[in-house]
Amino acid sequence: MLGLALLQREDYTEGVKELEKALDLERGASPKGYKVEEIWQDLARARYLLWEHESTKRSWDLQNLKETCMAALKEKHFLDTSQVEGFVDENIQSNLEQLEALNGVFNKAAEDDIPTDVPDYLCCKITLDIFRDPVITPSGLTYERAVILDHLHKVGNFDPVSREPLYSSQLVPNLAIKEAARAFLETHGWAYKTD
Amino acid sequence: MSLTVAAAKQAEKLRIDGNSYFKKDRFGAAIDAYTEAITLCPDVPIYWTNRAVCHRKRNDWTRVEEDCRRAIQLDHNSIKAHHMLGLALLQREDYTEGVKELEKALDLERGASPKGYKVEEIWQDLARARYLLWEHESTKRSWDLQNLKETCMAALKEKHFLDTSQVEGFVDENIQSNLEQLEALNGVFNKAAEDDIPTDVPDYLCCKITLDIFRDPVITPSGLTYERAVILDHLHKVGNFDPVSREPLYSSQLVPNLAIKEAARAFLETHGWAYKTD
Repeated sequence: MLGLALLQREDYTEGVKELEKALDLERGASPKGYKVEEIWQDLARARYLLWEHESTKRSWDLQNLKETCMAALKEKHFLDTSQVEGFVDENIQSNLEQLEALNGVFNKAAEDDIPTDVPDYLCCKITLDIFRDPVITPSGLTYERAVILDHLHKVGNFDPVSREPLYSSQLVPNLAIKEAARAFLETHGWAYKTD
Repeated sequence: MSLTVAAAKQAEKLRIDGNSYFKKDRFGAAIDAYTEAITLCPDVPIYWTNRAVCHRKRNDWTRVEEDCRRAIQLDHNSIKAHHMLGLALLQREDYTEGVKELEKALDLERGASPKGYKVEEIWQDLARARYLLWEHESTKRSWDLQNLKETCMAALKEKHFLDTSQVEGFVDENIQSNLEQLEALNGVFNKAAEDDIPTDVPDYLCCKITLDIFRDPVITPSGLTYERAVILDHLHKVGNFDPVSREPLYSSQLVPNLAIKEAARAFLETHGWAYKTD
């Protein structure tokens, strides 16, 4: 709850820390309890708020810098052009290209902070959300553990996509994908957003 | 009618002569033999590809390309022709087309003999081609980026100079904030260039045994992922256990890690430097 309070007063960094601690402890005490899910949701929301806060500042700084540089470049073009006679059209073209290129550079630098789609291979085909605890079936397909267990329990003992027979004992944790998803979230905090 | 049959027989004899010269490294003689065969029967693709192989041995890449193109006209699915044409295109630095031809060759070879050694050979050439293509394109990108950065840095410094000469007082603050701006701009250019700078491929995309990026990853019941060829080799030569977890492991238990395979492919697409093999 300290975590939630810290979020309220917008100390996101500390809020995330407290919630991480809470999740750790709860997982140690009752790994399969409903409280783990509850704390996880709060932690995901906290991480999202932290990212939003930091990326807003980044975007703001980047935008200011871009405007300053664009202005500086235009001033330089103006000064250069007034000193050069002839070849005016060529210069105008190449000046426009330079401004476009600079715009491209700023867009590229800001890329990670722009929410897009999480890559398919990092998402469960059933939930369409980024993996938290991915498991792989003998067909080579990867699902979110909780969701596939639910499917096996409620729908039947088969792989939802390949339709091959499937039992919960055959599920293997896809450790590499779990790590890939974690790394993705670290640099693309917008993906913490849950609906 | 019998004239054509006789010609075909003679051409075949010449091909065999050519093959025999080739085995003795007498490439000039082999070329002559294949050339005669071609003169008799110009529509047999294998005469052209055989001659192309000889030209390759003599590094006569222009002729390799000519002969391969002719062979492909006669047989769209000639693996050898696409393979050597790809290599010839790399030689004259047409990397995009070279990659295309090698992809075609690999596709065809995989269809014909998926487990043959030639698949590995063509794969190596294709990886090298993709690396050269990336190197060529990224060199241009870096060059353009560097020029743009220098122009912008100069423009920014000019602006600072003009602004400062118009403002009295607060000079130290301005100098500090101007330096920060230049640093920040430098940072922006570095970030934009990031994907083109070779670093380490992320651990989770590499086999723990080969330390190379995955090509055909498989996962074991312990949850660990390895390169298929390498883990099969381990099981065959060392023993039936998982190299890291030491749990019992049989080749039938290996499952293709399709998600990681796709992740590695996507990584290579934006980080072409990772195609470099030692």
